[in-house]
Amino acid sequence: MSISLTINGETHATNRDPLTPLVDVLRDDLALTGAKAVCREGFCGACTVLMDGQPVVSCLLPIASAAGRDIRTVEALSDGGELSPLQKALEQHDVVQCGMCFPGMTVALTSFLASNPNPTREQVKQSLVGNICRCTGYERIIDAVLAHAQAMQGGG
Amino acid sequence: MAEAVAAVEEGATPLAGATWILRSPIRDEKLAGSYVAVSGLAELRAIETGDREIAIGAAVTHASLCAALNGSADCAALVQAAGAAANPAIRNVATIGGNLCAFSFAASDLAPALIALDAQAEIYGVSGPERKPIETFLAARAHLARGWLLTRLLVPRNGRISAHARLPLRKAGDYPVAIVSVSAKRSSDRTLRSVRIAVGSVEPVARRWPALERALEGRSLDPEEAAEAARERVGDFQGRDGVEAPGWYRMQVLPKLVRAAMCGVLAQA
Ligand SMILES: Cc1cc2nc3c(=O)[nH]c(=O)nc-3n(C[C@H](O)[C@H](O)[C@H](O)COP(=O)(O)OP(=O)(O)OC[C@H]3O[C@@H](n4cnc5c(N)ncnc54)[C@H](O)[C@@H]3O)c2cc1C
Ligand code: FES
Ligand code: FES
Repeated sequence: MSISLTINGETHATNRDPLTPLVDVLRDDLALTGAKAVCREGFCGACTVLMDGQPVVSCLLPIASAAGRDIRTVEALSDGGELSPLQKALEQHDVVQCGMCFPGMTVALTSFLASNPNPTREQVKQSLVGNICRCTGYERIIDAVLAHAQAMQGGG
Repeated sequence: MAEAVAAVEEGATPLAGATWILRSPIRDEKLAGSYVAVSGLAELRAIETGDREIAIGAAVTHASLCAALNGSADCAALVQAAGAAANPAIRNVATIGGNLCAFSFAASDLAPALIALDAQAEIYGVSGPERKPIETFLAARAHLARGWLLTRLLVPRNGRISAHARLPLRKAGDYPVAIVSVSAKRSSDRTLRSVRIAVGSVEPVARRWPALERALEGRSLDPEEAAEAARERVGDFQGRDGVEAPGWYRMQVLPKLVRAAMCGVLAQA
């Protein structure tokens, strides 16, 4: 049975088993390697993608459940090779270390900031509860996100 | 719905958010031969607030429940439970029904919250819909004869104030090692009336704490006193050993959680 997926605005048909985690199709079949399968348990967030604008973990999302939904991966956040303002802010604040967590962080933060453009520090922390970073200690990421939000509000 | 029930009767396993099912290999459990997707069933995705009860479809996600019922006075503990469980990405897909039908999952946040709120579970089987008190459902669910779906959770609108307290070992994001949900009837003199206290994650299945409820009934709403009364009765539980915490630890933290839940109730009294 063929399953039709809409990923970053393009339609892809796949004959994989309906329970195949979406992350495997993204990485192995579509060469979209931004989402990382790190824990495969829903705890680390490195595989986060957007489904109809909301963050979900692609390691626990069967492709059958993704069919007919609008899936966006980290690759879709930049516009024609130009980084998104959030991505630029993270780069400018030099917060990325090994980078393993960052595709998921960036996807989760993009959705969070869309509905919370002017968040508090605590709200940013809460939004990242499902995104584990082994390197940075989080604080500088949060600083960068708050500075970015302020700049987007015209305050920076 | 009838089609989905027929499929389940023929042996298919319900699949909702799949966040439990896709982790089967980690638990050394085999995937089922066939699944029937229930998340798309409109009847299971509705939340209806009636005069006497709030009906929550089993395929409602944790995030949708929070969005729809945030601020609803009748189910504060449930909204707190759904909003604190797991992490935002999981809450966007994990459903209420999937959470309550993952039989071997002891750390469900929703289970004690629903028990404290005196909720009922609606099950749809071959002979149509049937309601059971949520605590009865939780205790019996693993032994029910095949061929049923959990369809709705019904929370009575009887003016109970309630709160949910949980202890994850990280500040958030992992399973709570112990959970306490409390509800009581609002009373003008701030005494506890018709108090219900439910404990989750300590034993394999969430349940009420009858001796503590009796001890606190009619007493003034004092979180410190409630914690003291809880301390004297933690032996009512047999804590389960698990990777996150040993059984004795789960029991030992209960008085603090009772205190926190009572503070939450006090804030609304
Ligand atoms: C990283 C992580 C952290 C988590 N933290 C928490 C936490 O802190 N607190 C908490 O409570 N939970 C937590 N969870 C558990 C999570 O809530 C469950 O995995 C989830 O609720 C299961 O829901 P689902 O819709 O994905 O179920 P599924 O995986 O689709 O199904 C689970 C089980 O329920 C059955 N089922 C589903 N719907 C029905 C129905 N309508 N009728 C009958 N049977 C049905 C399925 O057959 C299956 O056996 C966490 C999960 C993850 C991955
Ligand atoms: S790989 Fe999906 S959450 Fe960790
Ligand atoms: S930068 Fe290395 S895990 Fe986050």
